[in-house]
Amino acid sequence: MPIKPAHPHLYHSVTLEVAKAKLSHAGRKSLDAPLNLVAYIDMMTMLVIFLLMSFSATGEILFVQKNIVLPNAQNWAELERAPVIGVSKDVVTLDGSQVATADDLMKDSNTGDFKITELHDKLVTLKNNYKLLHPGEDFNGIAIIQSDKGVEFKVLKKIMYSAAVAGYQNVNFAVVPKTKAAGGPAE
Amino acid sequence: MSVSVDSGGGKSGKKSVNADLNLVPYIDLLTCMVSFLLITAVWSQLARLEAHQKGQGQAGEDTPPEKQLKLVVVVNDEGFNVVADQDQQPIPKKGTEYDYEKLGTELKKLKDAHPDKGDVQVASEDQIKFDVLVRTMDTALTARFPDISLIDAGGAGI
Repeated sequence: MPIKPAHPHLYHSVTLEVAKAKLSHAGRKSLDAPLNLVAYIDMMTMLVIFLLMSFSATGEILFVQKNIVLPNAQNWAELERAPVIGVSKDVVTLDGSQVATADDLMKDSNTGDFKITELHDKLVTLKNNYKLLHPGEDFNGIAIIQSDKGVEFKVLKKIMYSAAVAGYQNVNFAVVPKTKAAGGPAE
Repeated sequence: MSVSVDSGGGKSGKKSVNADLNLVPYIDLLTCMVSFLLITAVWSQLARLEAHQKGQGQAGEDTPPEKQLKLVVVVNDEGFNVVADQDQQPIPKKGTEYDYEKLGTELKKLKDAHPDKGDVQVASEDQIKFDVLVRTMDTALTARFPDISLIDAGGAGI
C-alpha cells in the first residue's frame, strides 16, 4: 500500500455529506476559466494575410537615404542588385560611402573632363570584383542612380559619364512606383 | 487552450458528441508566420526606370546599321522640342509647368506613324531638374518607346 501524506479526511463512519463535499472541493466553483480565443485568432489571421500580401521575395535592395526625395514614375521595373550611386543636393555616395560633393560637381571643369575620379575608381573595383566572383557570367553593366528630384542634369551627366567610362553603361534611376490603370511593372 | 464544439446532444443518455479543438499548433503556426513576415517585410517599395547612355564620351556609342528615323526629345527651359529627323515640334511650357500631356500626344502620333521605332533620345540641358527628366522618360515609355537614352543636349547634334 502506498504511503500518502497526511490530509484532512473523514472516517467512513461519519455520514455528514455536507462536510464531505466541503473537504473534497465539490461545492466550490471551478477555478478554470475558458479563454475566448476567437478574436485573437482572427487578428492573427488578418495580420498574416496583410503581411503575405506585402511580402517581397527580392528583399530590400535599396534603402531610401535621407535628404533624397525620389521622383514618381508609372512605367517601372523591379530592382536588381547593382551598385547604388546616391545623389543628394549636397553629396554623392557609392553604396553609402562619400565619393564627391555636389559643390565640386557644380563647378565647370577647366579641362572639359567630366570624370569623377573617386567614383570611377571604386566602380572599376566593383566591376573587377564582380568578374572575379562570377567568372562564367557576362557583366551586365547596371548601376542604379538614386537621385533627389531637385538635382540638376549637370551633376547627373558627370556621374553617368564616370559610370559609363568605368563600364557601367546601363544606368537605372530609382523611382517611387506610381500605380497605373493597367497595374504591374513595365516589361 | 481549446475551443469546444457543442452539438447540443448528450442529454438523453447518449454519449456526448461535443469535441474540443486543440488550437495550440494553429496559434504556434500563426505566431511563427507573423514573426517571419515582420522580420522580412519590405516597407519602402522602390523601382527603377531604365535608361541607356549614348553620346556620352566613348561609352555606349554605336552606329545604326541603316538610315533610321532619329527621334530626339530636347528638354530646355522653354519646354520640349520633339525632333524627328528634320522636323521639329516645339512644345512650350504651360505657365511654369512642362506640358507632358502634349508631349505624350506628339510621341504617340510618331509611334503610330513609325510602329517599328522603339528608341528615343532625351536630350537635356544642364539646368534641368531630375524630376522633369524622369517624367519626360516616363511619358516616352507610356507612348511605347521602351528604349530610352538620356544624353546631353550639347551632344545631340541638333
